[in-house]
Amino acid sequence: MTETSTLEGSGPAAGSALYELNAVTRTFSKGSVAVNALRGIDLQINRGELLVLEGPSGSGKSTLLQLLGALDTPTSGQIRFAGRSLENETDQVLTEIRSKEIGFVFQQFNLIPTLSADDNVAIAMVPRESSREKRSARAQELLTQVGLGHRFGHLPSRLSGGEQQRVAIARALANRPEVIIADEPTGNLDSDNAKEFMILLRDLHERSGVTIIIATHDEDIAATTQRRIRLRDGSILSDVKN
Amino acid sequence: MFSLSYAWNELHRRLGRTLVTAIGLAAGVGLVMGIIGVSQGLSDAQTKALSPLGSVGTDIIVTRTVAPTLSTATTTTTTFGGGFGGGGTTGGFGGGTTSGGSGFFRGRGNSALNSSDSTALDAANSSIITDLAKLGPAGTKFTHDFFVPGTLITFPSKAVSDVAKVKGVTSAVGALSLDALHESGTVPKITASVKTGGQTISATVKPPVLTASQQATERSCIQSVIEKRFGSGGTTGTGGTTPTGGSGPPGGGTTVPAGGFRFIGSSSAINKCLTPAQKAYQQNVVVPEQTVNEVLNPPTTNTKTSTYTVGGVSPSNSSAGLVTKAQLVKGTWLSTNPTTAATQVLVTTAYATQEGLKVNQTLTINSVKYKIVGLVNPTLTGDVSDIYFSLANLQKLSTNDSRVNEVLVSVANAKDVNSVAKAIKNELPGATVLTSKSLADQVTGSLSNARKLANDLGGALAVVVLLAAFLIAGLLTLSSVSKRVREIGSLRAIGWSRGRVVRQIMAETLGIGILGGLAGIAIGVVICLIIGAVGPGLSVTSTGLAVGASNVSGLLHQATSASVATTVHLTAPIRPFTIVIAFVGALLGGLIAGAAGGWRASRMSPASALRDLG
Repeated sequence: MTETSTLEGSGPAAGSALYELNAVTRTFSKGSVAVNALRGIDLQINRGELLVLEGPSGSGKSTLLQLLGALDTPTSGQIRFAGRSLENETDQVLTEIRSKEIGFVFQQFNLIPTLSADDNVAIAMVPRESSREKRSARAQELLTQVGLGHRFGHLPSRLSGGEQQRVAIARALANRPEVIIADEPTGNLDSDNAKEFMILLRDLHERSGVTIIIATHDEDIAATTQRRIRLRDGSILSDVKN
Repeated sequence: MFSLSYAWNELHRRLGRTLVTAIGLAAGVGLVMGIIGVSQGLSDAQTKALSPLGSVGTDIIVTRTVAPTLSTATTTTTTFGGGFGGGGTTGGFGGGTTSGGSGFFRGRGNSALNSSDSTALDAANSSIITDLAKLGPAGTKFTHDFFVPGTLITFPSKAVSDVAKVKGVTSAVGALSLDALHESGTVPKITASVKTGGQTISATVKPPVLTASQQATERSCIQSVIEKRFGSGGTTGTGGTTPTGGSGPPGGGTTVPAGGFRFIGSSSAINKCLTPAQKAYQQNVVVPEQTVNEVLNPPTTNTKTSTYTVGGVSPSNSSAGLVTKAQLVKGTWLSTNPTTAATQVLVTTAYATQEGLKVNQTLTINSVKYKIVGLVNPTLTGDVSDIYFSLANLQKLSTNDSRVNEVLVSVANAKDVNSVAKAIKNELPGATVLTSKSLADQVTGSLSNARKLANDLGGALAVVVLLAAFLIAGLLTLSSVSKRVREIGSLRAIGWSRGRVVRQIMAETLGIGILGGLAGIAIGVVICLIIGAVGPGLSVTSTGLAVGASNVSGLLHQATSASVATTVHLTAPIRPFTIVIAFVGALLGGLIAGAAGGWRASRMSPASALRDLG
């Protein structure tokens, strides 16, 4: 195996269904008013896909992302992820699934400000890997893969936005997830860093075949992606595969 | 499993908040330490004041005091005040009280007891009334120490063995506790000037009668003197007078020839004719008896009087007595050899400080040199002597051979103290039997008030202070955690369970607790030291053990009642237990804060990691 080994997904072959959403709704109650964030979503996402979720604020984009990321459960409908139903699972099981199968990249990077780059990566492995040495070793390996081999001990505050987001990618990959969910990952990056970040992400996708779901406003990113799903008012407006 | 370095880094990052929380806990815990310290200090002080007997290995003290209703002692004391009231009343010591053996305490009604007691006490205390002349010739410098029993009547040491026989008594030790008067000065010269003489004494005396031949001789002698002067013819008249002169005195004879013999009386020639008996005669005159009354002023002296108290302890028994070996601060205990012990004394630290005495220094008392072998710090409230002699020696010094005035009793079982005290009272009617308990009941003053206050308020205050500290720590942690929504949400999103997040926060607050605990111990120690340094004196008024001679000294010297009202300096001792309590308290505060923060964190949705993006 080559260096891609560390980046590779753990799931079965590409092409099989990773997500199956059936008539998924999500309603929030704000006081006495019920807000229907999602109004019946039917969606299938296969392993190895790289897709973009688009939509203005309030379109339900973030809500859908939360459901896909096992951060939330639907009000009605079914979500099957990697063969198991998420809709009625407990927080404990969802946490387990997130830890094992899902990597997150956030718009504001969400690194722990008091931990160095490698510790920020290693902390994601704490629930799964009891050996501090192994955690540390893998963290440094991953940071090297994302081009931060010289920045292990740096605190997030001493890294540029692009570097911080690369640390976030390394953290997302730490537990060899099925899917990486990136929420506006370039939202806080300048265009150069945004481009570099997308190059890194595509390269990662190509080499490891990990499923990647990106929520973004960025037309440049959306235009060059295999599949674009547009949301409006809690429903899928369009689902285009290039 | 939590990440220690993560916790440490978090605490470090929020250093201000960490310190505020830790200081809050530290202040609370430190105050609690201070409160516990004061409470323990008061407790210690009270124990010290309330169980004065325990400190000398004694549970019960048996004494014999005069019932306070009798005022006869006043008479005696007034005499003391004068210092040298007159002739010595000696032999007072045993005389009044020798009425007998083990029956000393027995068979007397109350009133009889009191009057005989007071008589005995009068007698014992009157030994102080001294004939100055006994101290030496006038001008002699003298120092003398007088030992008087004060209010405690001595009794034969047989009473000690009687008490020892009472069931439940482990040991009974006799002791003498006396007042000593130290007088020094010069023996005054007592002079009185009496004026005599100057009286006129008159007596009538008859000269002896002349014989016939003496008359004839005298007549012829005078005749011849006259003839030589005036011739024989002209003096016929004298012939006629001669027969009438008869046995009359010569003077009478010469006055007869009036006018004609004017020169005769002044003539020494005629004097020569007188018989030797007429020339000079002897007669005894008895002067009438008379009494000379002269008021003598008492001699003024430079006598100085100072008092101290003395106690007699048994050198062989160093674990029970007025003072025990455990209270030895410096030096050694009295020698067990009676001869050596007879020249040794122990001095209390207070008296040593006052008088500038040191171990191995020599004290001269009534011309005998005593070596100070040790300094002691006795705690027997109200019965602290300044100087301790061996009992045998003090008995000799105070002419109290085989007599004691206190019996210190230790009881096998603490529960039996009261019943044993009762039994002793039965055995020795008239004896004053004091127990620690009865002393404790009589203790009043600021100490017992403070103790009560400490008990009532201290505990409540400690609880309030701790709760406040916990509340502050909890609230600060709550607010701190609330600010970490994204961080905690992210941790939850990347797979940290609720429990793990809560444990992580707990680790942080426990760290704060440890920090607060250490700082709190430091604060507490400082508080306790400050209390110890500036702590107020607390008075303990114990009326129970006014033994010794303190009553008499009070009358003599207007001394304060210091021996009965003891001032206990308040300290706040720091016990290992207190430190453990403080540390555990701080950790508990940390845990409570962690629980609050953890509760808040566990309510955070992992989705907030995304939702917060806005």
